[in-house]
Amino acid sequence: MFEKSLYDLIRGLRNHKGNEKEYIQNCLKECRSEIKSQDMDVKATALLKIIYLEMNGHDMSWASFHVLEVMSSPKYHQKRVGYLGAVQSFKTDTEVLMLATNLLKKDLSASSPIVISLPVAALPHIITPSLALSVLADLLPRLSHSHSAIRKKTIVTLYRLALVYPETLRAAWPKIKERLMDKNEDPSVTAAIVNVVCELGWRRPQDFLPLAPRLFELLVDGGNNWMAIKLIKLFATLTPLEPRLVRKLLPPLTDLIRTTPAMSLLYECINGIIQGGILGDSEDEGREEIASLCVSKLRGMITFNGDANLKYVALLAFNRIVVTHPFLVAQQEDVIMECIDSEDITIRIKALDLVQGMVSSDNLVSIVSRLMRQLKTSTNLDNDQLDDLSTDSSEEMGAERRPRKRDEAPPLPEDYTIDVIGRILKMCSQNNYSSVVDFDWYIDVLTQLIRIAPASRKEIDSDGTAPREKSATADISESIGNELRNVAVKVKAVRVTAVRAAELIIAKLTMESTSHQVTSGSLKPVAWIAGEYAYQLSNPSDTLNHLLQLITRIRPPEVLATCLQASMKLFALIAGNDQTYWTAERKSMVSLLMARVIHTYEPLITHPSLEVQERAVEFTELLKLTAEAASAQAASTDELQQDPPLLLTQAIPSLFQGRELNSVAVGAQLNVPMPEGLDLDEPIHPNLGSLLGQADSLMLPVQEDDEFAAYYNEKAAPTSISSEPAINRLRDAPETTSPGSYQQATEDSYLDADIIARRKAEREERNRDDPFYIGGLGSPSRSQGTSTPIHNILQNENGPDLDIDSIPIMKLDLGAISSSGVGAGAPGSFQQQPKAPKSRPQIVVAADETLVSSRPSTPRTGSQHDSDADPSSTSAKSRAARKLKQSLLQVDSSHLRNLSLEASESDALPHEQLAETDAEMAKALKEVQRLRLEMQRANERIQVAQGVPTEGVVVQSKKKKKGKEEGKKKKKDKAEGGDGVDDEKEKKVKKKKKKPTEGAEGEGEGGPVGGGEGEAVVTVKKKKKEKEGEVKKKKKPKRVIQLDDDAGDGNGAEAGGEIGRP
Amino acid sequence: MINAFLVFNGQGQPRLTKFYTQLDTSIQQRLISEIFTLVANRPKGSCNFLPLPPLLAASSTSTSSSSEPHNDVPSLVTYRNYATLYFIIISTSTESPLALIDLIQVYVESLDRLFENVCELDLIFNFETLHATLGEMIVGGVVIETNMDRIVQGVRAQGTVAKRPVNESRGAGMGLGSGLGAGLGMGGNFVWSGR
Repeated sequence: MFEKSLYDLIRGLRNHKGNEKEYIQNCLKECRSEIKSQDMDVKATALLKIIYLEMNGHDMSWASFHVLEVMSSPKYHQKRVGYLGAVQSFKTDTEVLMLATNLLKKDLSASSPIVISLPVAALPHIITPSLALSVLADLLPRLSHSHSAIRKKTIVTLYRLALVYPETLRAAWPKIKERLMDKNEDPSVTAAIVNVVCELGWRRPQDFLPLAPRLFELLVDGGNNWMAIKLIKLFATLTPLEPRLVRKLLPPLTDLIRTTPAMSLLYECINGIIQGGILGDSEDEGREEIASLCVSKLRGMITFNGDANLKYVALLAFNRIVVTHPFLVAQQEDVIMECIDSEDITIRIKALDLVQGMVSSDNLVSIVSRLMRQLKTSTNLDNDQLDDLSTDSSEEMGAERRPRKRDEAPPLPEDYTIDVIGRILKMCSQNNYSSVVDFDWYIDVLTQLIRIAPASRKEIDSDGTAPREKSATADISESIGNELRNVAVKVKAVRVTAVRAAELIIAKLTMESTSHQVTSGSLKPVAWIAGEYAYQLSNPSDTLNHLLQLITRIRPPEVLATCLQASMKLFALIAGNDQTYWTAERKSMVSLLMARVIHTYEPLITHPSLEVQERAVEFTELLKLTAEAASAQAASTDELQQDPPLLLTQAIPSLFQGRELNSVAVGAQLNVPMPEGLDLDEPIHPNLGSLLGQADSLMLPVQEDDEFAAYYNEKAAPTSISSEPAINRLRDAPETTSPGSYQQATEDSYLDADIIARRKAEREERNRDDPFYIGGLGSPSRSQGTSTPIHNILQNENGPDLDIDSIPIMKLDLGAISSSGVGAGAPGSFQQQPKAPKSRPQIVVAADETLVSSRPSTPRTGSQHDSDADPSSTSAKSRAARKLKQSLLQVDSSHLRNLSLEASESDALPHEQLAETDAEMAKALKEVQRLRLEMQRANERIQVAQGVPTEGVVVQSKKKKKGKEEGKKKKKDKAEGGDGVDDEKEKKVKKKKKKPTEGAEGEGEGGPVGGGEGEAVVTVKKKKKEKEGEVKKKKKPKRVIQLDDDAGDGNGAEAGGEIGRP
Repeated sequence: MINAFLVFNGQGQPRLTKFYTQLDTSIQQRLISEIFTLVANRPKGSCNFLPLPPLLAASSTSTSSSSEPHNDVPSLVTYRNYATLYFIIISTSTESPLALIDLIQVYVESLDRLFENVCELDLIFNFETLHATLGEMIVGGVVIETNMDRIVQGVRAQGTVAKRPVNESRGAGMGLGSGLGAGLGMGGNFVWSGR
């Protein structure tokens, strides 16, 4: 039988176009049998084929044992295939990994360098802590292998070992450092070390400070650009710790910036200066110079020949600068803005990152317009026909846009669109809309965005395939809707506009998707607006119609629940008029309407979601009752005026009437102080049964004197405004994680509602040439919100002819709030509109309703501390959770953070600390030795006592002996110099001299554990005590002291190490 | 560090996959196809960096919002296109973006030396050599060598590099006649290639 070679396999693949799948399956089958072959060549070939197929997506984890077999082949070319298989397919949980350990150890000690390379290169891919522990001893000696290739690979592999098993570094670092310091070391090994140090550096920069002189030397005369780049990156992490480095670094860096021909190095120099915080304070003249040098170079990169890569990296650098030196970046606004319109999405995104930080009320409109235009052109495909219908008002825009469209053909990827929309929302809503001057404009933008937003694919959601991705799309249109809702709630002056916008959106949604399901996530907040502010709708009955139509086509239960509620509110408004008489016409109209509503609700009575089901049941029953009442109530005739049934005019509307809803700061609820003596575990009433029995006669006390109630009553007189159950708002909370949602944006600022009053008439007038304007209700030719002529808007915004006087200013009586004693935090969070230009309408920023129990003046920090539900803390949590989950491809090096290369956490320089560690280790070793020695001695003594000859033969390990011997020798000298031959002291010394050689016995028993030895020593001592006479006992302390001296000398002895064996 | 090194052709067929962290085969394939979609839609003259593919972006959005840069997270996707092939490096922010572009160049040039006027066919039939060459440049995600002579020398030390199969005419089946060598000329266009 002839087996296919890899070559045959690939040829076959290429010759089987069309039915590759079948071919591959056949091949895999063959491979499965071939790999079991006894012939190693066949096995290796089969494995190679499997590896090739793995690359194309065919799992090979089943073959892991065979991989191991091939790895153990004595032939290099087969072994190599085996190792390749291991690298490509082994996971840390691959079981055969345990079996591989010995093989790896063996190959690590092979004589041929190419064989050694195999395990060295493979280890990073398969390393586990236990594996690291067992191969470390074999890997370390490879650091001094004669081949530089082995040395550099070993260094990197040790680094990867350290990532999973930090202790590695303790053993390896001194040796690596030695390599780095060695000026005769192969430059490529040095470069590899620098790379590793650079990777380690950002984790524990303080450990590498002592290397700075050597690194500096390498930077100045290394002559290797690759290494220089890494060195600069490394220095950037070191400089914050050692400011003196900056002075040293600046000359070579500026030198490099001015002279280097390599753009990559130039860029990294600039980047290093930025990251290292060298831009620093402006007081230093030299630094200012370097800052301007950097920024001008970066600017040059953006404009240079249109080289896209340079543009990209320059933006990256600006993104770093903007954190510390926003003014430097702000100067470059012009070029950055250009990048937003780049064809290249990568560059756009980076520019967007930057721009987001640069938004102010002056440039918001122009930035958003740019982005909108982008989105618009990218969705042109769908909207082309609608565009043609667009009103005359946008003609000017159209002319400007059309040619653009031709150039900018590539459609934007969906996630980019989502990203941009999220950013727009974020930019506009940041600092509680402090940058938004014209809310009418904003509402139009939102309306437009809802149309642009990529269609949510929520219906696929139920399959559960990749839910994360899909929810992002659903989220974005919902975030837009939420924005609209926020505006409607917070900015009373434009509420009408917002409600009208909501009305239009509902109408459009109804028309758009007549047959299929409604998936736009925006429906939920929009329906809420329509319901909550129904009295401001231009045509409530139409909207009710639309909602009723939509209800049958909604899938997500939470949206459905909101729509149910909203439609009921609308119904209450339409039918609940108690001013007009109960005419026959009205009677039939209302009855019909009720029948329709009931008809729509009834199927939902069996809805699986409780939230929906409950509402449907309640409303249906209520409506049925009302319908009965309505039919029972005779219509008014000319003679007899009849009132409509009370159920219709009083009961139902009262369900939704209440105080106006205000925006409440996120997390504020948690700051509501727990009333004293409140015990939630306590039964409500000891005798609940009788209490319920009395329920009929029980009057609910009206707590007029309650301070909360007083607060709310003061503010808003109950109107016909219906209010949604608070629970609905609460349910919104989890969604705050969606990108760009209002809550998200303000989570930091914790600011309050802007209330901007605007004259409606002004809006009507301006809308005539505002391309974002959406015409009157039902107008089919609504503008598609084409791009805005910036100048137009700016003119309108900032024009001197703005009629300020005519703008009614809503003023919030802060005194009232604070005096009410509830909004303790309100004055603290009160914020003035930052630097509102004179010509702009004055904006009063009202406080969000919040409670800050303990820190009245700092609601932000207060809530962050107090509440878990605070968005910042939750997001931090989720972030942490995500980190735990770890991203794909991520190599977790966090273990390293906890490893210090030194033993103590003292502030001493790491170098010294290292030395200290060494010394400590040496000390510990000495201690162990001492104990062993003592044990041996005791042993010996026992033997002496028993009459065993004191001479021993066993040879001890060299190192220990040396130390001991030297000490002994010294003592011996001392002793000899001292006194007579028969002196006890001398005897003792002699004994000692012999002991080391005998010692092995004692040592063998002692084991390596210090504690155990100690005990052993004690017991031995005791024995000795028992057996030996008083005299010896007396001597013992002396001996110990001497031995201690021993230990002290031992260090030197090891270094000197000249003394021969006895 | 470098998280992955990928090579695939204009149809998205992988020619070399090397992940420096363990990843399921299926996720590898998904990542490759996501990157391929990104790379295939690049307009002319755009830069050599890709936005993060959705698989990776999902994890990094959290980091962009956090103030502390998380250097462990892959945040950079660098690619280079030679004739019919795309070379991709996924890396963390500790790598220099421009240097990575050069690194790909070194890799391709090394292959060119090994194969003498390399083309996609060489890579298809000698993927073991591709791995060997990469292994001489990057170990465990850290660059160990950028000197072409040493790389080539290192690969040759492991055994002879197979020549392109004689009977497999260049460009057969896939129309890859031009070879990668043509693409190498591109190196001159890069202003920073002053290694």
